[in-house]
Amino acid sequence: MDLKMKVNHLPALTYRFLKSNSSEIDVNDLYIENTKTPEPDMIPAAVTVKSDAAKSDVQDVFAKINEKIKAKQTKLPGPNGDTAPFNDGQIVRTGMGIEVDNLMDEMNVPVMIITADEGYKVEEPVHIKYSLKDGECVLGSQVICAKKGSEITIIMEYESEADAKGFLGISTRLLAEEGAKINLVKVQMLSEGFVHFDDIGGACDDKADIETITMQLGAGKTWGGTRVTLLGRKSIFNNHTGYLCRHTQEYDMNYVADQYGQKTESNMVFRGVLLDNAVKTFRGTLDFKTGSAGSVGDEQEDTLLLSPDVVNRTMPVILCGEEDVDGRHGASIGQLGDDTLFYMESRGIDEDAAKKLMIRARMESIARMIPDEALIIRIQQFIRTIL
Amino acid sequence: MAENNKTVVDIDRSVYDIKDVENEQDFYRMEDGFTEDIVKKISEEKHDPEWMRQFRLDSLKIYNELEMPDWGPETDGLDMNLISSYVRSKSDMKGKWEDVPEDIKNTFERLGIPEAERESLAGVGAQYDSELVYHNVKDEVANQGVIYTDMESALTGEYADMVHEYFMKLVPPTDHKYAALHGAVWSGGSFVYVPKGVKVDIPLQSYFRLNAAGAGQFEHTLIIVDEGADLHFIEGCSAPKYNVANLHAGCVELFVKKNARLRYSTIENWSKNMYNLNTKRALVEEGARMEWVSGSFGSHTSYLYPMTILKGDHSTMEYTGITFAGKGQNLDTGAKVVHQGKYTSSVISTKSISKSGGIGTYRSSVIINKEAKHAKTSVSCDSLMLDSISRADTIPGMDIRTDDADVGHEAKIGRISDEAVFYLMSRGLSEEDARAMIVSGFANPVSKELPLEYAVEMNNLIKLEMSGG
Repeated sequence: MDLKMKVNHLPALTYRFLKSNSSEIDVNDLYIENTKTPEPDMIPAAVTVKSDAAKSDVQDVFAKINEKIKAKQTKLPGPNGDTAPFNDGQIVRTGMGIEVDNLMDEMNVPVMIITADEGYKVEEPVHIKYSLKDGECVLGSQVICAKKGSEITIIMEYESEADAKGFLGISTRLLAEEGAKINLVKVQMLSEGFVHFDDIGGACDDKADIETITMQLGAGKTWGGTRVTLLGRKSIFNNHTGYLCRHTQEYDMNYVADQYGQKTESNMVFRGVLLDNAVKTFRGTLDFKTGSAGSVGDEQEDTLLLSPDVVNRTMPVILCGEEDVDGRHGASIGQLGDDTLFYMESRGIDEDAAKKLMIRARMESIARMIPDEALIIRIQQFIRTIL
Repeated sequence: MAENNKTVVDIDRSVYDIKDVENEQDFYRMEDGFTEDIVKKISEEKHDPEWMRQFRLDSLKIYNELEMPDWGPETDGLDMNLISSYVRSKSDMKGKWEDVPEDIKNTFERLGIPEAERESLAGVGAQYDSELVYHNVKDEVANQGVIYTDMESALTGEYADMVHEYFMKLVPPTDHKYAALHGAVWSGGSFVYVPKGVKVDIPLQSYFRLNAAGAGQFEHTLIIVDEGADLHFIEGCSAPKYNVANLHAGCVELFVKKNARLRYSTIENWSKNMYNLNTKRALVEEGARMEWVSGSFGSHTSYLYPMTILKGDHSTMEYTGITFAGKGQNLDTGAKVVHQGKYTSSVISTKSISKSGGIGTYRSSVIINKEAKHAKTSVSCDSLMLDSISRADTIPGMDIRTDDADVGHEAKIGRISDEAVFYLMSRGLSEEDARAMIVSGFANPVSKELPLEYAVEMNNLIKLEMSGG
């Protein structure tokens, strides 16, 4: 099949010449042969896994929260160039948008629903690993539901044989019920012959918390989107993303925090390095809806540019329909400072070694947050190999 | 002091709402709409040279082919078939204030334009609807070789070749739909040329007044500041309020030559039935500097993003802007900059205040091209929400194509800080006074960039009435 999708819509359209209002996935001659999510290595106590869930099962998971979201919709004006209608009809809003849902439906991709039982803090992470061979084209879909007062950690790892070519498209939807917490870790170490997308959408009820850690280290072209609806009072979304793009790698991302509830918090950190002819497009949006009084949001981007041929696009958006909020964005984009290089050289570290050291330091500052020592070591090895 | 004087109130627009309805029979008004016949008529009225006539017709064709942008505020209330492209007084442009027709003179006098000219300006141009009614430059400035004249005179007079060389080269009609419309029906505006090395110590000002209901104003401002020269140009605009939509689609093209400096200040106070779809652009050469100071207070709907192209090495720009979006207003403003030369630097600093259901959007783009080694840019945008029925959005974009760049960006949206109010109250101020003082301080970085009398006008526009103040 030929795959054409418009994804990663910026929540408010802007100048067309910036070419960042959305992105297009255009892949020809895909033969999608495997659409099942691999079973977790181990299923901890108080966790249930349903492997072949239907769309109606997913609708059931999100039914209650969707009722509440519907009740919160106001008739006040949206931003100029509002793209919200583009993604109407999603069971839960995701970063990449409705066309990923449509693809999953069209390909009859079975959904794996992972549920943490009410009141349980699941100590052991649930591991899902995609190990892909040359030529494999795979779609996968998961729903992670943390019932009231529970906590669950999911670690998803994508890897492939060296020099393999293929395709991996993933949809992950999250529901954190009242007082629940979901920790989602995604580490992508595919070979550069892969085209990859990873779409995340989540919703939080009162005092619920979604924490995501994403490391994008491989694949030739990657689209990533994360959108979290902070519906409940005092709900939280924290995100840490690390990315390393080199050669002709392209990474296109769209992160959105929709803050509906009172006293909600969002905190998004992005640390990346661009080398050679890499291209990165970052869209990050804090959207304070009317009624989100007392909410705060912060997005910080730090990008290290290490080649004269890189392209870095950054769209840090703050949308606000509420007086009593505090929204901030900061971006720092540039090369290694002269002071840093001078310090390194005065310690006997040449420029090339200093750059590698700084790349590893940036990536490891995100990797260290992953609650899996073995995976951290694999990430370190992967980075060492590609550098 | 009365209780109602203690809050941040809407702009008092009474002085701007002077209307000259009773004298409209003294005006020539083109039929509404934008057709080839109308464009030809405008061209005849203005005695255009042949190239300009053809330029207008080509622009109209582009206008009809281009689509409206899909990203900005809605313009549904603007029916182009109900807009008259050309309205002029039957009086010619005057070089002496006393020769200007009484009714027009009264309007400008109430707006304080002649007084400002006497006290603090090197020259003034006053446009009423589609044509300039008054243009004057002080002798000492003219003697330095500074040219400050209306566009029509420049187009056919001594500077015709220069106008032909520069007119709509920086903002081509293909740029966007309203640039094309401007190319088709432009009328009025100013031409300024500052010769090499000449420093004009006091500012020049053009004031644009759109009096006619349901009319469009399409003035063209072309300024060339030659090598090593220095100029401060001020633009003011206002209109009375009507129940029908008015349109402003002006165009400003600024050429800042090697080592020159140009400061372009604007206090925009169109009425709240105005669709302000204006385009401003500057091309800055080696070692030159462009400074924008912009206050946007009026209009029903605004699209306004002055753009600077830092073409020459070591060229710099600074943009300082404030937007106050009140009831019924949707003001989409910001700035654009393109770094092309090496060692270029840009600083964008904006403030936005939204109240009473107003929508204030900060929108910008920073492009650093591959050749722009050692480029530096710093963007800072602060928005203040004064209630929860308003909106304040920031939509910046950056496209960086070299590693040898230093990019800093920060944006902040929030309300008046409780801590700051508490601090001021602990110093004896009432809560209302404290809030008003904080808003005044928020706007201060912009007002301090303006000449005193314009800062006063800006503060009057914001109309912060403080108890005991």
